[in-house]
Amino acid sequence: MARLETLKKLETTLEKFLGRAVDTETARLENFQSIDLLDDIARDSMKGRFINNRLGSWFARNNELLSNKNMKEFEISAIANLLNDIQSAMDPSDAETQKLAEEIDHWKEQGIAPKRKLVLKMKGETAELSITEKFMELLKKEAELLEFDPNKGEHLLTILDDVLKSADAKEDPMFVHLAASIIYFMRMHGYKVGPFVKRLKEIELKKTGGSHAG
Amino acid sequence: MLADAEKAYFKALEALKNRDYAAASGFFKTAENQFTDRLEFRILQATTALLLAVKEEIFEIENSRIEIEEISSYGKETEFRR
Repeated sequence: MARLETLKKLETTLEKFLGRAVDTETARLENFQSIDLLDDIARDSMKGRFINNRLGSWFARNNELLSNKNMKEFEISAIANLLNDIQSAMDPSDAETQKLAEEIDHWKEQGIAPKRKLVLKMKGETAELSITEKFMELLKKEAELLEFDPNKGEHLLTILDDVLKSADAKEDPMFVHLAASIIYFMRMHGYKVGPFVKRLKEIELKKTGGSHAG
Repeated sequence: MLADAEKAYFKALEALKNRDYAAASGFFKTAENQFTDRLEFRILQATTALLLAVKEEIFEIENSRIEIEEISSYGKETEFRR
């Protein structure tokens, strides 16, 4: 009986300790929930899904982050990188998307600037990347996309189907390259890829307005 | 995109806030490679593991008490199941 009482006291003490420890992190937890939501939006954006409404709501709800002096460096960096990812996948041909792109620029002006990717941008401004470096960058970007693909772990055909949908919906030529790369890889492994090749050709024709020669 | 470990760490804090200690323990495990050099992380992870062990011990003691009480209720106590 004494052992049980001792254990219950210890249980209460540990729960109180964890509760207090988490309370001190509450502000960071709220920041994380905002970052986590933005991360979901960025992932959907990379998949070619419509994100304008959710991004607009995110800006409206998190406007105070711009004036929050207690944000940690890695939180600022995470938000900046996610906004950068979203902006790079935007197709600002319509007014609504253009407005959201301008809001991202506003956040950057307020100090929410990407840290990790800034290095790459500066390099690009001072020296043009060689074709080899461009290719390596593309492969890296494709690997990152697959790493965070919701279908990760699924059969490659499922992933290919998703990539083809993105290739069709988005302007970024990376999706076309990635689809072609997966198709070729599957052909090398004996899969019948005819229908996928047909889809990819149709997408290419659509994007070039039917002027593509090959 | 956020790294899986970063997400896992904050999800662990979220789980602790909701008193879901088993879930928190799982998220800490996912995050440990990236955060193991941070003292606050190690303390929270170890405390959560200790709390889960304490809860398990309490559960076992309370369950064995119920069994003993059930045996006694049928008359003379002839055996203990633990």
